[in-house]
Amino acid sequence: MAPVKVTFTINGITTEALEGSFLLASLKANKIDVPTLCHHKDLVPNGTCRLCVVEVTDRGKTKTVTSCNFPVKEGMVVSTEAPSVVRNRKVLAEMYLGRWPNVPAVKEVAKKVGVTGSRFSSDLTDENPKACILCGRCVRACETFIQEKIIDFAGRGIKRHMGMPFGEVDPHCVGCTSCAYVCPTGAIEVIDDMNHPVDPLLIRNHGMRVNAEMANLDPSQCRMREVGTANIVEVMDAYDLLPVCNYKFGSHKDTPKIDSKVLKEQYFTQGHADQCWHGCSMACAKAVDGYILKTGPYQGDAVCVDGPEYETSAGGSNMGCFDPDFIVEFNFYCDTYGLDTISSATTIAFVMECFEAGIIDTTITGGKVLNFGATDEALELLHEMARGEGFGVDVGQGIRFLKEKWARELGADAAFLHDIGMEAKGLEYSEYVSKESLAQQAGYTMAVKGPQHDEAWLIFMDMVNNQIPSFEDKAEALYYFPLFRTWFGLMGLCKIVWNDVSPADNKKHPPQEAAKIPEHVHNYWKFFEGMTGIPLDEKKMLDQSARVHNLQKLMTLMLGYGTRQSDVPPYRAMGPVTEEEYLSRQERYDGQLTANLGLDPASMDLPAKMSALRTFRYEQYDKVLDAAYKRRGWTREGVPTLERLTELGIDLPELVEIAKKYQ
Amino acid sequence: MVVVNDRDHVAWHEGMTVHQVLKAMGYSYVLITVSVNGKHVPREEYETFAVPDGADFKAFHLAHGG
Repeated sequence: MAPVKVTFTINGITTEALEGSFLLASLKANKIDVPTLCHHKDLVPNGTCRLCVVEVTDRGKTKTVTSCNFPVKEGMVVSTEAPSVVRNRKVLAEMYLGRWPNVPAVKEVAKKVGVTGSRFSSDLTDENPKACILCGRCVRACETFIQEKIIDFAGRGIKRHMGMPFGEVDPHCVGCTSCAYVCPTGAIEVIDDMNHPVDPLLIRNHGMRVNAEMANLDPSQCRMREVGTANIVEVMDAYDLLPVCNYKFGSHKDTPKIDSKVLKEQYFTQGHADQCWHGCSMACAKAVDGYILKTGPYQGDAVCVDGPEYETSAGGSNMGCFDPDFIVEFNFYCDTYGLDTISSATTIAFVMECFEAGIIDTTITGGKVLNFGATDEALELLHEMARGEGFGVDVGQGIRFLKEKWARELGADAAFLHDIGMEAKGLEYSEYVSKESLAQQAGYTMAVKGPQHDEAWLIFMDMVNNQIPSFEDKAEALYYFPLFRTWFGLMGLCKIVWNDVSPADNKKHPPQEAAKIPEHVHNYWKFFEGMTGIPLDEKKMLDQSARVHNLQKLMTLMLGYGTRQSDVPPYRAMGPVTEEEYLSRQERYDGQLTANLGLDPASMDLPAKMSALRTFRYEQYDKVLDAAYKRRGWTREGVPTLERLTELGIDLPELVEIAKKYQ
Repeated sequence: MVVVNDRDHVAWHEGMTVHQVLKAMGYSYVLITVSVNGKHVPREEYETFAVPDGADFKAFHLAHGG
């Protein structure tokens, strides 16, 4: 429902504001200077200091209220200069000045209301210019920013003061520095001696921007604190991007059984900041306590499970398993065994499709009926993989191994296995459907260590927003984002606070720039500068990263994976392999044949349509590879040119020797 | 007809709102910025802003995930 605006007057001037918004914001919007001590733009107001009082007449009744937390109402009459308001503010300012005469924030407020001295000096007077004035901002900051109550009021009456429980440093403090950030007097100081940064304040100030966004924007954006990365299970399903049954499909009617609502309401028991990144208040990590395992060596034990994250749930849908208990148990055993949840799920999904296609049967699987959705069998297979027993010996070696073995020993159709085996460079794909995003197909498959998404995730930019329509646009995105992501990974910075929360005014940028989230990139440059003393800009950052990225590329060449052939995905990542897939999105594919190739689908049989679409998509992919290689300074074979190595200052003889072989 | 993101088409009707165009496209994402004929439309106006026939409708999804 659209928000309602209300109309009212301030000092006789008619104004309007959204119903429910607080009066202080309207006063500021009308350029009325209101004194405050406890108010802070990033905190929920609570009227502690009383300095922002105004007189409000509403339906015939006049009263004095604190404007910071008083919601605006239709027809109310506001006076900021009524005699009672002026008197109240002056008395309050005198009292503050009497107790804390040298605190600059107090002196400034007193001056603003016309008070220069105080009648209230006493034994309680504190001459310290950085004295705590008990405004309570730090208490609210701890609760708002980090969802804790590590710092709070203690004592009563004249002994009231701030502190941690029993006057000791609370181990739950994550060092987010929110309390110091909001303190108006400097009473809370942070001593920065970790890793000896050049400019700790620069780091803290930019870190607090992130924490403030988390406190104020996350609840209406990605809900990372509430449900973590699992928030996108339902998003990906809605946009046909959730992998289902070995990436055949992008959505499923049973997705609501494993989405973030279910995980939040029935599973997650932990969700506080865990200090994985010092001072971060995002608290995206979730955990499930007391889950009783149904299988495996710890069957019957109540355990704590770290997760599930989006990829773990999406791995479940990829195996056709929409049982949240299964996903939590699969999560636990992958972690316990040291297996990657993504590679394990994608490999088992491939095995399931091979089983349903008749390529393997129970004589190969050790009796396990491994249809999609076979939760018990999938877990048993996982245990076998970990134990190195039975069918698990082969499956544990991944899709590339299975494709080659089953083609060689079972006479399976190698081309079909290649089409449906979702791996490149020997690594299994992560859990997104990339069929309708050419840039994402390349982003995955060109990634130097295999098709994972921490080099580039361009699905929305490409498939949904259509903001990189030309091959050159896609190539530019395939230059910037992999280098940016590689860069912050090298610096030990986290991806999540880059784009899982977004500044409220990010929309002011044109879409190509907005996708970068410029304010957050700037934060990262400032973290780097605060640590090293070296200022950065986009070119310097990208060049730093390109040196490492190109070095990684040369290493993949040494390992035998670095040429163009290794950058071509299996067709399942690009389009419909089977008739079942084509028919599931027939309207889309038929439409593309008409729009892109000028064909009449009505006059074609299904194999002809599938063949035409496949040829077209491979041609398109070749063009995007050409454009991306060119932008990166690589040859048509996907190898860094000698000029590029020189330009980056990494033309060491041993590296040039490797690259030369492929020029 | 409303043209969405320079590519997709949604049948137009009298009084069509931004909210209705997004619904027709199945766009349920929380981080969407909308512009109609180059003019940014604030979220609080999605249910009241009338989209004209033939409008150039941009629904920019800010990526998260990945």
